[in-house]
Amino acid sequence: MASEAVAHESEHHAPPPQVAADVIAQELIATTTGATGRFKAWAWILGILSIAGIVALIVKFIDQGDDSTKWGYVAAMVSFLLSLAGGAPMVAMAPVMAKANWVRPITRIASLFSFAGVATLIMLIPLVAILPPLVTEGARRRTVWFMAPDYSPHFWTTLGLVLLLVTGIMLFYSAALPDFASMRDHSTGWRQRLGKRLARGWVGTDAQWRTLRMRIGMFGTFYFFILVFVNFLISTDFGQSMVPGWRDAIFPMYHTVSGFQAGVAGVVIALYFSRKYMKLEKYVHMDAFWSLGRLLFALTLLWIYFFYSSFIVFWYGRSENDIATLDLLIKGPMMPVFIAAMLLIWFVPWWILIWNKVRRGTGAMVVGSFIILIGLLLDRIRTFVPAWSVPPDQIHEKWLKVIPDAYWPSIFDVLIMVGGISLVALIVMLMTRVIPVLSVWQVQEFNLLSKPIKYIRGHATLVAKPD
Amino acid sequence: MSTQSILGLFQQPESAADAMDGLKEAGFELGTFDVLTGTPYPEGAFGEYVPQHRLFRFPAFGAIIGFTLSIFLTSVTQLAYPMVTGGKPILSIFAMLIIMYEMTMLAGVIATVIGIVFESRLPNMKPGIYDTRITEGWIGVVVTFDDDSKVADAESVLNKAGALEIKHAK
Amino acid sequence: MQQRRELDQVYTNRKLLNGQLDTPKWWAPTVTILGIVVVLGLIVIAVMINKGLGMTGLARPVYWGLFITTFVFWVGISHAGIMISAILRLTQAEWRRPVTRAAELLTVFSLLTALVFPLIHAGRPWRIAYWIMPYDLARGIYPNIRSPLIMDPVAISTYLTGSTLFLYIALLPDLGNLRDRTTGWKNAMYTVLALGWRGNPRQWKMQTVGGILLSALMLPIFVSVHSIVSWDFAVASAVEGWHSTIFAPYFVIGAVHSGVSAVVTMMALMRWLWKWDDFIRPEHFDALARLLIVVSTGWLGFTFLELIFALYGQDAPEIALREMQMFQWPWNGLFILFFLTAYAIPVPMWLFKRVRTNIALMFWTSILVNIGMWLERFLIIVPGLARRTPFVYTWEAYRPSAVEWTIFIWSFAWVTFLMLLFSKFFPLVPLFEQKESQVFTTDVMIGRAKVPAIIREAD
Repeated sequence: MASEAVAHESEHHAPPPQVAADVIAQELIATTTGATGRFKAWAWILGILSIAGIVALIVKFIDQGDDSTKWGYVAAMVSFLLSLAGGAPMVAMAPVMAKANWVRPITRIASLFSFAGVATLIMLIPLVAILPPLVTEGARRRTVWFMAPDYSPHFWTTLGLVLLLVTGIMLFYSAALPDFASMRDHSTGWRQRLGKRLARGWVGTDAQWRTLRMRIGMFGTFYFFILVFVNFLISTDFGQSMVPGWRDAIFPMYHTVSGFQAGVAGVVIALYFSRKYMKLEKYVHMDAFWSLGRLLFALTLLWIYFFYSSFIVFWYGRSENDIATLDLLIKGPMMPVFIAAMLLIWFVPWWILIWNKVRRGTGAMVVGSFIILIGLLLDRIRTFVPAWSVPPDQIHEKWLKVIPDAYWPSIFDVLIMVGGISLVALIVMLMTRVIPVLSVWQVQEFNLLSKPIKYIRGHATLVAKPD
Repeated sequence: MSTQSILGLFQQPESAADAMDGLKEAGFELGTFDVLTGTPYPEGAFGEYVPQHRLFRFPAFGAIIGFTLSIFLTSVTQLAYPMVTGGKPILSIFAMLIIMYEMTMLAGVIATVIGIVFESRLPNMKPGIYDTRITEGWIGVVVTFDDDSKVADAESVLNKAGALEIKHAK
Repeated sequence: MQQRRELDQVYTNRKLLNGQLDTPKWWAPTVTILGIVVVLGLIVIAVMINKGLGMTGLARPVYWGLFITTFVFWVGISHAGIMISAILRLTQAEWRRPVTRAAELLTVFSLLTALVFPLIHAGRPWRIAYWIMPYDLARGIYPNIRSPLIMDPVAISTYLTGSTLFLYIALLPDLGNLRDRTTGWKNAMYTVLALGWRGNPRQWKMQTVGGILLSALMLPIFVSVHSIVSWDFAVASAVEGWHSTIFAPYFVIGAVHSGVSAVVTMMALMRWLWKWDDFIRPEHFDALARLLIVVSTGWLGFTFLELIFALYGQDAPEIALREMQMFQWPWNGLFILFFLTAYAIPVPMWLFKRVRTNIALMFWTSILVNIGMWLERFLIIVPGLARRTPFVYTWEAYRPSAVEWTIFIWSFAWVTFLMLLFSKFFPLVPLFEQKESQVFTTDVMIGRAKVPAIIREAD
């Protein structure tokens, strides 16, 4: 409704062009075939890096599987991948629940990230094996599981992550049914056969559409709750619980919200590259970047809010465990990482995303998103590496008496980190070969519901709101 | 030469837009005619001149002033009357940040409000020709003149567009 | 589903300005009764200031009781305004239109009321005047900006100033409308207040752009205010149940919960009292209830986290406090009542559309929520302090005195009184927003279906 500061009529962006529904279907399905040389090259590079990462993980497990203090970087990666791959599908879910129109074309690319949850699961497996049980050397460490069995964190985190993967895939599948039907009708070869099998007789009756919307709502809600649950477990069992005296009630929410931030940043990046290299300018409008930009900006500000809320309570408290926690995570050996993380996850993106011109474009938005992801990785390193560095024999103290030194990642850690990120990117890329990267039926719906009109003498967009 | 203005009153937005088109075609300069409505319409709905504004400079300016004042207030006062509380340093940046943040935002908001009022060209206690039916759904097209020669032209344009009434003001 | 009504501007003016142009019959008696309660309350406050805080039930160790609870409660209610006005404006939700002004008004008046409590809570309130200007520098001290008690007034004043200015700016078009509809001294008053508003494109553009800019500026303030209020408690490491990092977002989301519920209460009353059935419709309550379900479930998550991490530390005093809260009378009774009223009764009811569109049920459930949220603040503030009662040789548990209860009731009467007084001179529903919705919404045919649609300006 409202326009921002527009100096001149000529700066008004033209309304998005109207495209016929069958043209939409054909053009979007065509994006699944015809992978360019550049695409294949990148797929190979990412594939090699992913395999290198998995191999490094196995070698590290064999070599250092008995020393939990060396696994901080892997824990940080699990958290990072959970944030990126787990947070991205929220873009497919939350604005849909809020009945936003702008999100319709881009829900598919967001929900493709749920497949990348496989990468998180792969990384988690050795970590679960190495995570100490709740009772070590006869004493029980502080935990949110209180009197539950000793291996509760291991069980519930694994179960939670598996459930997240499954729910994410079900959310994707529920929304993809009409597109599988489109592939059945318009594709050839294995894609056509796959579409036929997965479309499960979709013809587009009223009842089928109602069921589809109900499923999206249901799986979306489940996904959100499971995501919050898994974030809670990873941040406490794999983070706070490892450090004596670190009692931070906001940390799970901090972890979750910065996870959403990473997810949105990931979607922006994926959207940018898809739009550019698959020539999807007709379907992905500035509207989408504008709204994602606002969301990203709000989440960036929320990061500093959550961080400061926790920091100020420790800073004022000044009890031994408050001081030890601050030393461990912020003021001590991790200070350079903390400063870099704060700059990259908050300060720099804030000053990039605050400008309307940036949010109306794509280039600076992508740069901002990359910066946020690097910042988030550093932030996870800042929290998980020191947490895992605490020697197991200190874990039963009332507070941390000796701050462990920071250490650089080993070559295995570097390969694992690069491999994990590569695997996420690879999975998303490969999925765009299986199903159109933009949801065909939602782009058609967007075109149906949103039309450019002439209003008396001006230009406007008419947006139907059926719900 | 007296400055005159006339106000044509319309009930339909299309007619008002026709009047605006007519005035443009008749050679009236942009800025000498305007449309008055009791409700906001989408920008450009009457083909009107979209004004430039500098509203975004106001909060930036206000925030800078607020930030500077807040640094002054929090640091100079605590240094002038130092009292150690809770073992914290006299200049505790983390505590000062809160007051600095609030004062920056306050100054930004006040400056924005001043900006809105200023950019709306208010207060204007001599607003010129007007009709109370504008806030009942009528649309007014007002034309201002430097001399009387073009008044008749403007009137004929407004009448042709379907003005239900034309008011004059000296 | 949005229901579109065709309402012409003359009708809109007549209905929504009925508070200013004709006074409803119930207005004068209601305002008189409220005025009496307000004056009585002020007398009680004056007596308390004269005789001292001994008239209240406050004593070692419960130094903060009903007054601070009510203070936090009113700050919480004030969060409705920006939530509805700013966030819904930025997300372009059409259903915000009837409510924005009343919500902003509630913000302003509840903040004013909230500010009263720390003032009367001081042993010698007149000394607080020196906090402002000129400070008693001869004693060699200056307000300690490291104290959250100093940060509080700064934050609340910022929010109050911002909200008041935002309210005034958004009121300008309606002041122009009132100027056009009145004569005599009223006309003169509105002419001055309207600043010469005419309704040309420049002015409307400033309303739109300025409204969005102010919303964007007020949002961070809104988040910070209740966070700072929460830090009054959270930074105190000595009191069990207080030193938790989650207090800031927990309080903010609780404030949104109670504030939006208060807006629902207010909207129902507005519809019934001024007969605004055409403007405040069941679909608005439906949308608000859905928002409330999300917010309250988020709030529940935060409550759960706060409890889990209180027990996480396995700290004996903390666990003793929680045992007292859950298992000892009267705390356990209050706790159960709090949980039932704040979440367990209203939220499951709101899951049903029949309840969400039933205005009477929405009215009563929203009142329940605010009872629960007041109790929530009470249960955060008082038990942590009251647990120490046996250790400080105080014979009696904290029991709020009649003076405290009177002032508590006075605060509700004061806010309602101010709102009704405002309604005599200014419209509670923004007229130009209603008229704007007539312009910016339409019906469009998709196949045989008539679908409501909105018109968005080209970016």
